[in-house]
Amino acid sequence: MIMDEDQVLIKKILEGKKSSFEELMKKYNKKIFGFIYRMVRNEEVAIELTQDFFIKIYGVMSRYNFEYKFSTWAYRICYNLVIDYIRKNQAQVDSLDDDAVTQKQLLESENYVSEDGFECLAREELHHYIWKVVDCIPVKYRELVLLRYLQGLKYDEIALVTDLPVGTVKNRIFKAKEMLRTEIEKDGMFN
Amino acid sequence: MECLTNTKIQDYIGDTLNSVESAMARDHLIVCPACKKKYSEYETLEKHLLQPVEIIPPAIIERRVLAELFPLLPSYTSIFALVAASFVLLVTGIYIYFDFANNSIIQAIQLTANTTSNWLATLIKVISAVFSGVYTIFEAMNRVLKLLLKINLGAEIIGLTVFVLFTLLFYPIFKLAFRKLKG
Repeated sequence: MIMDEDQVLIKKILEGKKSSFEELMKKYNKKIFGFIYRMVRNEEVAIELTQDFFIKIYGVMSRYNFEYKFSTWAYRICYNLVIDYIRKNQAQVDSLDDDAVTQKQLLESENYVSEDGFECLAREELHHYIWKVVDCIPVKYRELVLLRYLQGLKYDEIALVTDLPVGTVKNRIFKAKEMLRTEIEKDGMFN
Repeated sequence: MECLTNTKIQDYIGDTLNSVESAMARDHLIVCPACKKKYSEYETLEKHLLQPVEIIPPAIIERRVLAELFPLLPSYTSIFALVAASFVLLVTGIYIYFDFANNSIIQAIQLTANTTSNWLATLIKVISAVFSGVYTIFEAMNRVLKLLLKINLGAEIIGLTVFVLFTLLFYPIFKLAFRKLKG
């Protein structure tokens, strides 16, 4: 059986090589933390959950099935961890969603407005703006957008991670992009 | 021709339409400014989404995970500190014990301790009892060693060794408790 880079690392970790786990952690730290942070929108919680994720993944690594891609398996564990947290702290997350920090407030708070107004937003600013809007869409859409674009998963991989039918995944991502486009257009950011 | 739906435009960008549908969409986009505008907006959005804004994770995550999963062995400095602390503890213990035994005031307190409820007398009795008990154990261990290995280290050396070994053995627990105390 031909093993990919991740699987080679896992094999070494299972043989007790600590440095391989460090390597694996370095590889996934940014993506996992980025995903969790954008889902819970709280740095302290994101740090805690990222730690829990790595500790958990180390603990259950012996149960990893080498027939599957490690990343999909890992993202599934990460996804469940975050969803569990969100369910337990529904009120807190809802309040964040309710805030849905009107995009204009968001822009004002982070000095996104250039001297000439919204029309002259530089490309870089538009880029940050779009990702800020992503952070404000409801969780059920945001999670899929993040898995698709932040983690770079395909529709069928997202379906595996989230336990949703591929059709639902695709529809929700389309709907999410529609919401994003409408929101951005409303603020005249495409001009 | 009817305008393209948002889904159709997204499918066209994602290249998931069949060749006929794709050609029809392309032709329509040439003649319909409204759809063309939507198309370019979706395209811009897609381009930006494909390059996520990176969030740098704090370095503390890796450190904490590694400390949790692979508790470090004590360093040479802490081993030396433990040996020194155990030595001081043992010597102080012996000094206190013999001083207690020889000091007339302490002896007087000890004698009256049985009949009074003085807290100091009780404390002295407890310390003496604990130390006597521990010292007796070390003496017994020394006797066993003498019998088995024909070496006489002395109860004090045995005590020091036991203290050091005990502390080293429980080092990870002490460390964890200390970290929790520190918050």
